[in-house]
Amino acid sequence: MSGKKAREERREQRQQKESEVESQERRQLLIKAGSAAVFLAIAVVAVLIVVSQNKSSGGDGANVEDTGLVSKQLAGIPQSEMTLGDPKAKVTLFEYGDLQCPVCKAFSEEVLPDVIDAKVKSGEAKVQFRNYTIISQQSVPAGAAAIAAGKQGRGWNFVELFYRNQGEEGSGYVTDEFLTGIAKGAGVPDIGQWNSDRKSKATLKEVSRTSTEAQELGFSGTPSFAVSGPGVTGKKTLGTPGTASALEEAIEEAQ
Amino acid sequence: MRAPSESTLRRITTFAAAFGIGVATYIAIADARGGAPVCLAGGGGCETVANSSYSHLLGINVALIGIAGYVFILVSALLRGDLARMSGFVLALAGFGFSVYLTYLELFVIDAICQWCVASAVLMTLLFGLNAVRMIVYVGRTP
Repeated sequence: MSGKKAREERREQRQQKESEVESQERRQLLIKAGSAAVFLAIAVVAVLIVVSQNKSSGGDGANVEDTGLVSKQLAGIPQSEMTLGDPKAKVTLFEYGDLQCPVCKAFSEEVLPDVIDAKVKSGEAKVQFRNYTIISQQSVPAGAAAIAAGKQGRGWNFVELFYRNQGEEGSGYVTDEFLTGIAKGAGVPDIGQWNSDRKSKATLKEVSRTSTEAQELGFSGTPSFAVSGPGVTGKKTLGTPGTASALEEAIEEAQ
Repeated sequence: MRAPSESTLRRITTFAAAFGIGVATYIAIADARGGAPVCLAGGGGCETVANSSYSHLLGINVALIGIAGYVFILVSALLRGDLARMSGFVLALAGFGFSVYLTYLELFVIDAICQWCVASAVLMTLLFGLNAVRMIVYVGRTP
């Protein structure tokens, strides 16, 4: 009887040992799999970082980015020529900008969206983009292309998309191919008409006219702002306010 | 040093993942409304990050990917056994790796910091740590 019990105990001990070994092996295998996953994750993150470094740094008409973002940002806001907002709005905020200017790009991405949300969408004010070409000669065809897009109701889409895809200042990226890429991305319906409008004498004259106007207003850099409305006489110059709230206050004063 | 019990690790993971779902949901709702999350400390970093092209991956807001990740991690914390331990670890690892990539983008590409993204990255780091301990200490053992 005692012999049988001892055999059972030995068998149980052997089974327990085998189970422990099995469990240990399984554990080691799973930890190895976990370590492999860690190495894989490191490799994937490294590849993602390298790919993001190689991503277009702007100025590439064949790979226009942020088209969806821009159309979403401007969705539902009326546009006419280079004016964004309700045409009946009593206050007009004028932005004198150069499409090649990196500060204008920063303003367009960081300051103007708040002003548009607070004052333009509510119908209190409209914003008008006016070219003030100061960076290089290429700013002229860029500005003319924006005006031509405005004739088809896509002026602000063009301006915003241009800023989002802006290349290195003065690097010569503003080619016909780049402008066409922006126009297509901005949703300009008739590219043929846009091409003819942007090269017309009247459009180029308009770019030159607003640039002269900016100089006459005393602006020396871009973006510069002015406001008009019942509360001010003529155009009140604002210079380059650093915050959205400063622009919003100026709009309120002009009401 | 003695490792915390598996139930403690699972409990903290559940809370952290639920908190992560809240943070990611807030970012996703702000995006769906056409705006951006509000940076509590100001500075406009949240708007810059939300308006950048990197806020969407193949047209999907990264916050929605975050919500999915947190939900799966939460489910793995509620379940027992090796499959749950390994799934939780792999998911938290993927979330942590993605957070490292997004933080790199904020610091070196977008040049703006969004507090909500930082909050999510901290939570993902915590979840990765918890799930790594759970996997290393308890995998292969009886629940």
